[in-house]
Amino acid sequence: MVSQTVKVINAQGLHMRPAGVLAKEMTKFKSAITLETAGKKINAKSVMLIIAACIKCGAEVTVECEGEDEKEALAKAVELIESGFGE
Amino acid sequence: MYRGIGGSAGYGVGKAVVISDVKPEYVVRTITDTDAEIKRYEDAVAVFTEKTRRMADAMKERVGEHNAEILEGHILLLNDPGMEEIIKGTISGGTCAESALESACDMFSSMFMMADDELTKQRATDVADIKLRMLKILTGVPDTNVADVPAGTILVARDLTPSMTAGIIKENVEGIITEVGGKTSHSAILARALEIPAVLSIDGIVDKVTDGMNIAVDGNNGICIIDPTVEEIAEYVGKKREWLVQKETLKVFMGKETVTADGKAVSLYGNIGKPEDAEQVKSCDGEGIGLFRTEFLFMGASQLPSEDQQFEAYRKAAEIMEGKEVIIRTLDVGGDKDIPYLGLAKEDNPFLGFRAVRYCLANEASYRVQLRALLRASAYGHIKIMVPLVTCVDEIRAVKAMVEVIKKEFDAAGIPYDKDIQVGVMIETPAAALIADLLAKEADFFSIGTNDLTQYTMAVDRGNAKVAYLYSAYNPAVLRSMKYIIESANKAGIMVGMCGEAAADPLLIPLLISFGLNEFSVSATSVLATRAVINKWTKEEADLLAEKALSLATEKEVMELLKSSVR
Repeated sequence: MVSQTVKVINAQGLHMRPAGVLAKEMTKFKSAITLETAGKKINAKSVMLIIAACIKCGAEVTVECEGEDEKEALAKAVELIESGFGE
Repeated sequence: MYRGIGGSAGYGVGKAVVISDVKPEYVVRTITDTDAEIKRYEDAVAVFTEKTRRMADAMKERVGEHNAEILEGHILLLNDPGMEEIIKGTISGGTCAESALESACDMFSSMFMMADDELTKQRATDVADIKLRMLKILTGVPDTNVADVPAGTILVARDLTPSMTAGIIKENVEGIITEVGGKTSHSAILARALEIPAVLSIDGIVDKVTDGMNIAVDGNNGICIIDPTVEEIAEYVGKKREWLVQKETLKVFMGKETVTADGKAVSLYGNIGKPEDAEQVKSCDGEGIGLFRTEFLFMGASQLPSEDQQFEAYRKAAEIMEGKEVIIRTLDVGGDKDIPYLGLAKEDNPFLGFRAVRYCLANEASYRVQLRALLRASAYGHIKIMVPLVTCVDEIRAVKAMVEVIKKEFDAAGIPYDKDIQVGVMIETPAAALIADLLAKEADFFSIGTNDLTQYTMAVDRGNAKVAYLYSAYNPAVLRSMKYIIESANKAGIMVGMCGEAAADPLLIPLLISFGLNEFSVSATSVLATRAVINKWTKEEADLLAEKALSLATEKEVMELLKSSVR
C-alpha cells in the first residue's frame, strides 16, 4: 500500500467537474483507491461520494492506493489534485 | 380557461395525455436469496442504461447535444461505484432492491442538497429523476412513453424532464402544458425548437386533467381551455389554420435579402444564448448573430469555465455561422443574474451596482480568460466583442487595452487570431446614450440593448407591478435616446445595431429605419416576420412617421400613432 497527503487548490474545492475527472481517471486503475479527509474515507472512483464529501479548497486529502498498479495510481491522483485539475 | 405563460407560439386542439411523475408503490420485503435480488437490481440498471442511452441518442438528433449530456450524466450517476457499493451492500443485508435504491438515492439527494454550491444542489434533482425511473423499472410500472402517444395529443405534465422530452415526436403532439417553468425553461426551449405550442406555469393543471379530455392550447397568449365547447374548438382550429398560413406566408421571405421597400439593405441577425442555438438562427435565415449571451457558460458550471471551455463554445458559434458576423457579449453578471460561485455580495441596488463590465474590470484575471478565449476563437470565423453596461469612455478604453495586450502575447506566441477583431459597446444606459458621440470615437460598433435602456431611462423596475406601466420603449424619452445613439454612430461611420425586443417590434421598425439603424437582432423565430415588416417601408415614409412620432408628448399618443400606422 502507498499513500501521500496533498492539498486541494481548486478555488471551488472538489466539486462536480474535478470530482468527475478524478473518479474517471481513478477508475482506469485496478488498485483500490481511497481519499481520506476530515476523518472520512471514501472510494476515489465514486464521483457521488467525492461530491457528497464536500472537500473544500485548502483541505488536506490523503490518497491511499493498494493493488498491482498502486504506484501509478497514486502518482496520477497526486498529479491531478496538485495541479488543480488543469484549472 | 386557465392562464399561464406562453412558452412556444401556435395553437393546438387535442386530447390530453397526462404524464405522471408519481412514485410507484411497492411493499418493502425481506430478502433471503440476496444474490438473486442483486441480479434483479443489476438487470434493472442494465435496462435503465440501455433505455437512457437510446433516449440520449434520439435527443442528440432532435434537439442537440446539451440536453443529451444531462441524460448521459444520469447513466454515470447510477453506475457510480459508490452508489453501487451502498445499494448492493444494503441488498446483501436482506433489503429488497426497491427499498435499497430509494434509501441510497434519498441519502445522496439530501447530501447534495446540503452543499453550498448551486450545481451540486441541482444534482439532487437528477438523483430524484433516476430514482423514479429505476423504481418504475423495478416494479414494472409502465413509464408513459412520450414517443408512443397518438396523433393529436396534448401533453400535460408537472414539468418536462429531459428523460420525457427525449421521446417527443412533433407530428403527434398538438400542444404542451406544464405546471412549472418560464419562457427560458428547458420545456419552453424544447417546445420552441420542435415548434409545438406550449403553455407553462399553470398551477395544479395535472390534477385537473385526465387522459382523453379535450384541451385547446393558445401558446401565443399563454391560455388553455379544458373541455372546450364545440364553438371554442372550431375557433381554435380556425386560429391554428390562420397561424399556419401566416407562417407559410413568411416563408416567402426565406432566403431573401433584408431590404426596405425602396431597396436599402440592412442586416438582420439573431440573438442566441448557446452556441448550438446558432443552428436555429441559420435555419430561420438569420444573417448573423447580433447577440450571443455568454452567461450560460458561467451559469451552467460550478466554477469559472476555463479558457479552453470558453474557446470551444465561441469557436463553435463562429464555425456554425461560417464567416458571418457573430457578436459575442462578454460576461453580464449581476443585476438579476447571479452566479453563485463568483461569491458576489447581496446588494441593495443590484441594477445600479457591481455588475457586467464593472465586475469584469475589477476581476481582470477572470476577464482576461474570456478575452483570450474570444481572440483565439476569432481565428475560426467573424467574431466581434461587445462590452455590456458601459457608462463611460474609460471602460471601453480599459477593455481595448486588455485586448491589445493579449494580441501582443498571441503575436509573440504565434497563436492565430483575427487581427481586425472589433470591440464594440452595448448601449443600454442613459449615460452611454448621452455620450454616444464620444463613445463612437472609441468603439468599433454600437448595439442598443433596449430592455435595459428603457428600464434605466425611465428609472423603472419592470418587475414592480405598481410602476411597470412606465416600462415602454414608446416613451418619448426612450425614442429620443435611440435616435441620438443611432445618429451618433452614423455620424462616426460605425455600425449600429439593436438587440433588444424592440428590434422585432413592427410598431418601432419604421422609426428605427428612419433613425438609420444598420442591424436588427431578434430571436430566431422573429427573423422572417421582421424582414417582412422592414420590406414594407420606404425611408421616406418612415421619416414622415418618425417626424410625427417625435413631435408627440406622451407614450400613449406615440403608441396610438404607431398602432394606426402599423403594416
